[in-house]
Amino acid sequence: MADFLVAAALFILAVTAIALFRILHSRIAAERMMAVQLLGTGGGAALLLLGAASGSSAIADVALLLALFAAFSCVAFALGAAVPTVRRDSQKERS
Amino acid sequence: MNGLADIVTVVLVTVGALLFLAGTLGLLRFPDTLSRLHAISKADNVGLGLIVVGLLPQATSLTGGLKPVCVWLLAQLSAATASQLLARTIYDDQVEP
Amino acid sequence: MQVTQTEAGIRMKGTVAARHVLPSALLVRACGLLLLWIILMGPAPQNLPLGLVASAAGVWASTLLWPPDGTISWIGLVRFLLRFLPQSVLAGLDVARRAFARVPDLHPGMANCRSTIPGGLARDSACAVMSLQPGKLPVAADPDGMLHIHCLDLREAVAAQVAADEAAFRRMLKPERRDG
Repeated sequence: MADFLVAAALFILAVTAIALFRILHSRIAAERMMAVQLLGTGGGAALLLLGAASGSSAIADVALLLALFAAFSCVAFALGAAVPTVRRDSQKERS
Repeated sequence: MNGLADIVTVVLVTVGALLFLAGTLGLLRFPDTLSRLHAISKADNVGLGLIVVGLLPQATSLTGGLKPVCVWLLAQLSAATASQLLARTIYDDQVEP
Repeated sequence: MQVTQTEAGIRMKGTVAARHVLPSALLVRACGLLLLWIILMGPAPQNLPLGLVASAAGVWASTLLWPPDGTISWIGLVRFLLRFLPQSVLAGLDVARRAFARVPDLHPGMANCRSTIPGGLARDSACAVMSLQPGKLPVAADPDGMLHIHCLDLREAVAAQVAADEAAFRRMLKPERRDG
């Protein structure tokens, strides 16, 4: 069973890595931000599988933190992206 | 560890892994940014969910089984909120420039 | 979008200040958060004081973000989850089917739909939920409740699906929350 779980984890890591490679070469900032979300789910799934394969429950904590960081960084990105829009609008009004 | 639990794990983890593959394929093949966001947020999330449920029969303790469920719930919440926020940002960029 | 978000924020703060807080609702939240703490940290007794402090802080934060009178009915929540979880799995399989097709099976585009959910937190949550349902991704909401939804396939009956999703979501809200 452990071999199967490790194989599944490696498969998911490979698939996530391909998607990350594609996303990080995008010119659109929001697409690059999708990489963080992908890392949260794909990395979390791979970690949970590896944790179950090795029988160490501490890896689940790492997966939890990954999911948490993914959530926070997406919120931070959206807040940061909203600010320049407002500034652009106010400049438009002034000019 | 009995046979039925192992079969459940193998089936669910395999389907979950295939959903991750689908998410990546969607990301590579879908034509526009918002469609790609659909692929990431929906397919990967269900993939993670199936893997979490598939690992439940292998859990050795109650909290050891519940913690991955918490990871999944958090990932669900985060995916729903983050895809909303990213979609708004993408949409605003498309409408305004 | 900035405007609606700020409006929602003001409306939520207003409800918190205007109405008195139900202690029982806060107690339920505190117990739930403590339970979460025990699941995550393990039931060791020396960790419990910190868990109590953490859940108290969590309740305080939740009163700022989620009005204590905005309660949901538990039966409605269970019925909602029984519909939401299979739909969520269907959404993933739907994307997978389209992605694996020889030519990606897509007719993406925007659809507009009037929301029947009261504005503010309830509508934002409904939109977040809808983004995990098959083929739909709400991208913006006008102040008058018009939703802009990005769809993977415009050939599907988007309006009917949105109405069904919102009806399921509304059953979860208690009647007094409909003042919006």
